[in-house]
Amino acid sequence: MRPLTPRRVALICAALGGVLFIAVVISLRMGAYPISIPEIVMTLVNRFIGRRNEIPPDFWNVVYEIRLPRIALGILVGAALSTAGAGFQALLRNPLADPYVLGVSSGAALGAIISLAVAPQTPGLIQIAAFAGAAGTIAAVYFLGRRGGQVDSATLLLAGIVAVSFLSAVIMFLMTTLPGHEFRGMAFWLMGDLATQPAISSRWLYLLLIIGVGSIYTTSSDLNLILTGEQEARHLGVNVNRVKLVVYVAASLLTGLAVSVSGAIGYVGLLVPHLMRMMFGSDYRLLIPASALGGAILIVVADLLARVVVAPTELPVGAMTALVGAPVFIYLMRRSVR
Amino acid sequence: MTTAETTTAARPLANARSVAPRLKVEQATYTHAADRSAPQFTLGPVTFEAQQHELVAVLGPNASGKSTLLTLLAGLNKPFSGRIEIDGTEVGQLDLRLRAQRIAFVQQESELLFPLRVWEYVLQGRYPHGRRLRFESEQDCLLAGNALAQVGADAFRERRMDQLSGGEKQRVILARALAQQPSLLLLDEPTQHLDIGGKVELLRRLRRLAENNRYTVLVVTHELDLAAEFCDRVVLLHKGKCLRVGAPAEVYDRALLEEVFEAPLEVEMRANGRPRVILHER
Amino acid sequence: MPAEINRIVTLAPNVTEIVYALGIENKLVGDTNECNTPPAAKSKPHVGEPQSPSIEAILALHPDLVLATDAINRVDTADALQHLGIAVYTMAGDTQTVLHILDSMARVAELTGAEPQGSDLVANLRSRLDALHARLQDRPMAHVLFVVWEDPLITIGQNTFIADALRWASAESVILSKQNWPQIGIEEVVRLQPDYIVFANGHGETAATELAELRTRPVWRDLDAVELGHVINLNEEAIRPSPGLVDAIEQLARAVHPEAFAANAENLSPRSGARRTSPLSMKTNAECDPCAR
Repeated sequence: MRPLTPRRVALICAALGGVLFIAVVISLRMGAYPISIPEIVMTLVNRFIGRRNEIPPDFWNVVYEIRLPRIALGILVGAALSTAGAGFQALLRNPLADPYVLGVSSGAALGAIISLAVAPQTPGLIQIAAFAGAAGTIAAVYFLGRRGGQVDSATLLLAGIVAVSFLSAVIMFLMTTLPGHEFRGMAFWLMGDLATQPAISSRWLYLLLIIGVGSIYTTSSDLNLILTGEQEARHLGVNVNRVKLVVYVAASLLTGLAVSVSGAIGYVGLLVPHLMRMMFGSDYRLLIPASALGGAILIVVADLLARVVVAPTELPVGAMTALVGAPVFIYLMRRSVR
Repeated sequence: MTTAETTTAARPLANARSVAPRLKVEQATYTHAADRSAPQFTLGPVTFEAQQHELVAVLGPNASGKSTLLTLLAGLNKPFSGRIEIDGTEVGQLDLRLRAQRIAFVQQESELLFPLRVWEYVLQGRYPHGRRLRFESEQDCLLAGNALAQVGADAFRERRMDQLSGGEKQRVILARALAQQPSLLLLDEPTQHLDIGGKVELLRRLRRLAENNRYTVLVVTHELDLAAEFCDRVVLLHKGKCLRVGAPAEVYDRALLEEVFEAPLEVEMRANGRPRVILHER
Repeated sequence: MPAEINRIVTLAPNVTEIVYALGIENKLVGDTNECNTPPAAKSKPHVGEPQSPSIEAILALHPDLVLATDAINRVDTADALQHLGIAVYTMAGDTQTVLHILDSMARVAELTGAEPQGSDLVANLRSRLDALHARLQDRPMAHVLFVVWEDPLITIGQNTFIADALRWASAESVILSKQNWPQIGIEEVVRLQPDYIVFANGHGETAATELAELRTRPVWRDLDAVELGHVINLNEEAIRPSPGLVDAIEQLARAVHPEAFAANAENLSPRSGARRTSPLSMKTNAECDPCAR
């Protein structure tokens, strides 16, 4: 009997953190602009020891304006989507649940389209509108998915499916009837794109990420119990309704956050929790932080590949996660069937 | 049932006045409102008591209100009138965690989404005894190990839940309830899917648990024979009414049982003071 | 914006063409991998696709000015470049008139210090258009269907530069739509029976190939225009907001109003600056060989 200890959680998170660090370093090194590792190190160091003026403007731009922000965004999005995916899989009692099944990304896409149709050149508007669309969908699906005033997993899933279909139809309608050329960016947004920096400072976005992941983490013991049955969990003293509500809101907001800044990147929220489960077990006290770190690693690596595979053209990162994710997912499925 | 007879000789009920009752149900009532699937149903008033070391059966045919009474005892519903107390405190007043520390509800089945090992599953029973986000301590592991031993499941503690047989799984589910270290164990028709050997084994185990530890075990069932053989006290329900409470010998009256179960029955008293029910097709 | 522009990066094929037409291609340090006209543009360093160029690659070229068009390039790209302190000029794209396009060329010339070449180019193109206008003054408008994409059938809206180009050739689209790229059903085409059907996906082939293919397709083969062989296939590089557009207008006018050109065949004056090396070829089956250039 070796129960999960805080020490084991810390060790595994440190190991994953190390892998993430390596991925970040490699990602910092790769790119179209010729800059070597010593130059990168010099740029990084000089900023913090007060020798900012000695950094050539191009190096500054490449490191601090192009590569680092993109990597940071990738970490944010990867962590948010994976944690949300793990949360939804527990909430909906469905290992095939991904963060988009309840309609959050469709709502965000609708918000984005409306903002493109109304005011296409306003910077940052598309992200705010996307988040507003996501939030509206979260509320609507929640109210549709209640039964007897409580969150019922099966009804919630149905409500989500209805929302996705309805919103997709509205989006299709708008895209064919509104004048077309502003929607060029939508294709990238729908596939997932890390090239556009969010208008809001990353500080706030990271704060939201920490709040979201933290909230879900506080329910991880509860989730372990709920996964053996809701009634059983109630009898063991879990406030099932409150836990479900917390997980729903936190996971949906994390998804909305990710989708608003980078579009709908697929497979991350579905695959990473499964991968982490295969490696480390399904105890949510470890699964949540492991998924967050694993998702960050996956997105950083996928974005790196998206940038270099057909350089100088940049693929949307969502295309990369799908290309890599689909075969991995099929492999996992076959393994579990066996 | 000869070996059983020697080990389950009826014991006199503990004197209710000298020891505070573990479980006290006083004039408890509950009403299910009428809906599309069922007419209105009222349970109660029900009154009975149960002590430590006692194995109690709530007996009755289908739709007699047994499950409703169980939800009241488990604290899932509050009685419309009357009181239900455990160790002197009203069940409805306890918050979720405290209630889970006192009362353990043993489910029949367990549908796990992701595979768990037996010991992981049993260890979850320690949840009510700590902070919400917690990591199990050594003592938790010790108590879980004890619970496994008590149900004889220690040998397969490393196996996965989906690799167990039905009977083994049920023992593990019981072990998790025991790990909660409750005062009161509640079981809802636990013998439903078991063959006669399994039924006897389960009831024997429950009886031993009641006798050796300080549990009060309450079983909802419609199995007349098992209740007669193993239980100290029987609460007989019929169409929501509590007809009689007492030792099996006191409750098993032929005319009463025939009316309640709507079957031709005969009741025979045996040497050990326990009644035996025989189906009597005329 | 730096005072002197010596290094230019273009992000769209038509913009690249304009740079060559202005004769300042020596300042062009990078373009996209879709910039194929003139062929010399293919050997310039590439920064990626127009829709997703590599910002770093652009930065590495140290441009003084980046030229884009909102018809193809994304706002995000321009924003990212400006955020790094690189000057960007975005030409307006789809909803321009031909004269606006000429103005844009003049503006680009101005920005890049090539005013003389710019005004020459614009004057030349303008005179050709005016001559064409004079020649076609009394002609009735031909009714055409301009096919942007066959399946689904997408044509042009009234506000696009192509619609304006058609007007210069005394032609107009049978479809009147406020949307830029409306998707229509073939039934509408059957109802309206345009005089000519114009495609723009040729690469120097004749329209005969396109026509032959249409003659085998149900519904299409019964259209008046197809039966009469009034199918025109323009080079796809021609239909861009660039100097080549005027070539396309002239060719289209010749095909749709042949009687206006019967007398003399030298209406095209040589353009200043670099010449396009791939001649536009465009024939219809109705045109007889002696009239071909």
